[in-house]
Amino acid sequence: MTEFIETLRSASATVQAIAVSVGGLIGVFATLAFFFMMIVVADRFGKR
Amino acid sequence: MQDVFIGFTSITWKMLVMYGIGGILIWLAIKKQYEPMLLLPIGFGAILVNLPLSIAWEHEGVPGFLRILYDAGIANELFPLLIFIAVGAMIDFGPLFRNPLMIFFGAAAQFGIFATMIMATLLGFDLKTAASIGIIGAADGPTAIYVANKFARDYLAPISVAAYSYMSLVPIIQPPVIRLLTTKEERRIHMPLHEKQSPQWLRILFPILVTMTAGIVAPISVPLVGSLMFGNLIRESGVVERLSQIAQNELAYLVTLLLGITIGGSMSAEKFLNWNTMLIMAMGLVAFIFDTAGGVLFAKMVNLFLPRERKINPMIGACGISAFPMSARVVQKMASEEERGNIILMQAIGANVSGQLGSILAGGLVLALVPLLVK
Repeated sequence: MTEFIETLRSASATVQAIAVSVGGLIGVFATLAFFFMMIVVADRFGKR
Repeated sequence: MQDVFIGFTSITWKMLVMYGIGGILIWLAIKKQYEPMLLLPIGFGAILVNLPLSIAWEHEGVPGFLRILYDAGIANELFPLLIFIAVGAMIDFGPLFRNPLMIFFGAAAQFGIFATMIMATLLGFDLKTAASIGIIGAADGPTAIYVANKFARDYLAPISVAAYSYMSLVPIIQPPVIRLLTTKEERRIHMPLHEKQSPQWLRILFPILVTMTAGIVAPISVPLVGSLMFGNLIRESGVVERLSQIAQNELAYLVTLLLGITIGGSMSAEKFLNWNTMLIMAMGLVAFIFDTAGGVLFAKMVNLFLPRERKINPMIGACGISAFPMSARVVQKMASEEERGNIILMQAIGANVSGQLGSILAGGLVLALVPLLVK
């Protein structure tokens, strides 16, 4: 991982922007997916 | 003798242009009622700071009142965070709890942030500035100010003005993009309304768990997420109703007023009137268009996997931007125009509040990821 980041550090700004975009979108989707699971589980739990 | 007329002799053509820009913002606020609480003070602040000698900003090394406000509320990021407490107190996550699937549109509609960031680097901006420009697509003024303040302070004024201006133009920007990407049949899709009420313990636990999760995923986002969720906790706790009302009203209005005039105060002609400002304004518009497109196309993609009776009206995807509740209202209006009696407001609000979460998470992740690559 450290090596990958080091490679990106020497890449062009556009390549860095693409990397941030991929990481950012995955991060937002994954975090909101976690909140989704939280709400669904809470809903199931609430019905009992 | 020259000192007597120094006010006249100091006026430059750039100042005159800034009076014009300030006047346009005030006109938009009063005549068109576009975000009047912000555009009015921003417009007036822009005129104030560009008056000869800029006394309101600084005079003979002594800070003027606009500079004092800037240092007290923008430079240290206090005003955006106070606004978030107020916004948190206004948000009702109930519609999201009733339609949890809507949460994913809050992620899809952040696409514009990242697409615009890539585009900005192609236009020659460095990564930090490009990220700050992209964040205009968060459709969330405080987040845009917060990120720009950390990464591109020189461009704070155009980025803030673009963020707030385009937020107020959501009713004009979104409908053509939605129409372009959807068929009439898709826009007429009805969605069942879930009437179930979410339990209070979930409403109380949600802001706490969201803060903790965001704090673990992107610790740098804690001020943004924490202040938003603190406001929401005040609202949902049900035991501090007066605090909740104060946050939603007095705090929101007062800080908005100070934030607006201070942002306007940062629009000095020499900083604002340049080619990059024009590019930033143009890219801000692109960010909003990509956001809308990202949300709508994601909804269409989800529909490929859903049975006919559970299809999502793809217009809902456009509500994943953070412009709350304007975007939901726009989409509901469009649904009603397509077919009378088609009510999708609750689902639209669910996606819209998710957009609020998505935008601050995106802001936090950008704040966390960019410094890993650029010192």
